[in-house]
Amino acid sequence: MEAYMETVILIVGFLLIVAGCYCLIRTYHLLKVIIGVEVAMKAVTMFVILAGFINGKAPLAQAFVITVIVIEVVVAVVAVGLALNLYRLYGNMDIRNLRKLKG
Amino acid sequence: MEAVIYICLGLMLIFGILAVMLRSLLKSAIALAGASAMLAIIMYLLGSVWAGIFELSVCAGLITVVFISAISLSNTDKEDLPRLYEDAKRMAALPAVLIICGVILILIVAKTSFMLPAAVPAVEMADTFREIFWNQRQVDIWGQVIVVLTGALTVVALFKERE
Repeated sequence: MEAYMETVILIVGFLLIVAGCYCLIRTYHLLKVIIGVEVAMKAVTMFVILAGFINGKAPLAQAFVITVIVIEVVVAVVAVGLALNLYRLYGNMDIRNLRKLKG
Repeated sequence: MEAVIYICLGLMLIFGILAVMLRSLLKSAIALAGASAMLAIIMYLLGSVWAGIFELSVCAGLITVVFISAISLSNTDKEDLPRLYEDAKRMAALPAVLIICGVILILIVAKTSFMLPAAVPAVEMADTFREIFWNQRQVDIWGQVIVVLTGALTVVALFKERE
């Protein structure tokens, strides 16, 4: 019965990764791109916790997850900074404008 | 416990899809915070209490604040957004893609009788986590410090006033 729940968690995680990657592929808005990355990273974080739960090594998984969360925050903050700079330069956050940047 | 996990999983999936699909960025950021909160509850129920606290305070709190700050600092006209990005049209196929992927995954699980192994009983939590985090994985902490400093320096460089 327990293994059934874990398989469901796995499937939901894969669906979240698909949603995040679809957003990455389809949107042009830089903030939406970051939101897509965040959604996919939520699923990855859940997988790490699930692995720790299955192996009975939740403490080790938590140590990894805290590292993942720190990296997630730094990526989000740097990307938002980039988006704001893009807005200051072009008046919108369209990633197609990044192609115009030089040096 | 299992029923709560299933409910949280469902809500997390819905919030995740909403975060990606909603046209309003503010609503997207709030939906992302909702997905983080649901993940925090799942973490708590799966025995990862400290990670759940981090997820709730940092991902559901801090990242949402960062997004909302960015949205309020950039005041693109609401009328221009659909014309500029065409997000509603471009993201319209996502539910169909997710349904197809879900059906494929369920079929694979059903046909191959794939099941993850059942969980083994967890070892003692609090002390072991402290021991692992501060002693065994000490290098990770230094890595985290370096990543945070790098992020801070990058933000400083990004917002440096032009001479």
